[in-house]
Amino acid sequence: MMAIDDDMLMAFVDGELDDIGRARVERAVAQDPALRRRLEEQQRLRDRLSAHYGPIAEEEVPERFRSMLETNVLPFPAAPPRPARPLWQTLTALAATLVLGLLVGRTLLAPAPAAGPFAVEGGAMVARGDLAEALETQLASAQAQGAATRIGVTFVHNDGRTCRTFDSQAAAGIACRTGADWQVLMTAAGSGPQRSDYRQAGSENLLVQQAAQEMMAGEPHDDAAERRARDSGWRSSTPRR
Amino acid sequence: MQAFERELLTLLPRLRRFARALAYDAADADDLLQVALERALKAREQWAPGTRLDAWMMRIVRNCWIDEVRSRARRARTFAPEEDGEMVGVDMLDQIEAKAEMHAVDRAMASLTPEQREVIALVLVEGLAYREAAELLDIPMGTLTSRLTRGRQALVQLLEAA
Repeated sequence: MMAIDDDMLMAFVDGELDDIGRARVERAVAQDPALRRRLEEQQRLRDRLSAHYGPIAEEEVPERFRSMLETNVLPFPAAPPRPARPLWQTLTALAATLVLGLLVGRTLLAPAPAAGPFAVEGGAMVARGDLAEALETQLASAQAQGAATRIGVTFVHNDGRTCRTFDSQAAAGIACRTGADWQVLMTAAGSGPQRSDYRQAGSENLLVQQAAQEMMAGEPHDDAAERRARDSGWRSSTPRR
Repeated sequence: MQAFERELLTLLPRLRRFARALAYDAADADDLLQVALERALKAREQWAPGTRLDAWMMRIVRNCWIDEVRSRARRARTFAPEEDGEMVGVDMLDQIEAKAEMHAVDRAMASLTPEQREVIALVLVEGLAYREAAELLDIPMGTLTSRLTRGRQALVQLLEAA
């Protein structure tokens, strides 16, 4: 019989073993009093740690932390100050977007419009296929780990339409609900192959986030508002300004 | 309030506990959390909506703590050679007194290496899976499990002896 080393015993205590590993440890513990003592030692340690740290998470959080978060958001509804951007930067950004748009149009629209994420309908670019599906149904608060398209924020556009930011391997951007379609207002390079959950967003997302902030009336939807918006069919509201 | 702040607010109790496990002292832990929150609010653009805010935030807390540990070590190096006399004596007394008042678990955590302490905090205190903790710390699984094992053995020895 294979000896149970400390790493395996601890993986057992931490619930990191599969069924076979667990059965093996349980059998060994039943036959070996010394091993059982080591196991009990580890369980006592876990109990001791949770007795000590558990109550800390139950304590009332000091006011200074809550107010840091609360005061931080006050400036937002009153239009956040934006650094003035020199004209050349704006022009460069516009040119870059234009080139990107051309590329996106070429590579994603041209060969088989029905298969790509975008199509041109009545002179406007609209979402199709999986992208349209994701915009229509996916909630940012409940998306699958490996979802091909990730939804970022949902918000009300200055003109009253409900808009959402999206990101996928091929393209990121902003789409607004227009009639029965999702009109794509801007695109940027996507985040590339599936990235790990903890990695931070790249600069391409920043571009989309900034553009979204410019268009946004009020605050982005929270989880509940996002769900309500979906359930009511992404209805537009009256323009706010 | 925006979704970012709202979610952060719900994470505060857990983040405080995590900070306490890293800093093993209640006042230090709250100072650590404050610094980490300031850093997070400045860096909020770097958080990708839809990804886990708890992991992102724990990483910031942990990085802030490493900075603090490094600057304490720097301060200790700067002061120690010149002040071998009374200053050190007073400081030592303070430390001994403080240690006697500490909770046994805090004292045991304080005697671990920072590397052992952070894996214990993530896995045993916060209940992260090995894979999640390894990813958060950017270390291989083997490194994580060996630190975890050594840290645990040290804790068992310290706490069972008491």
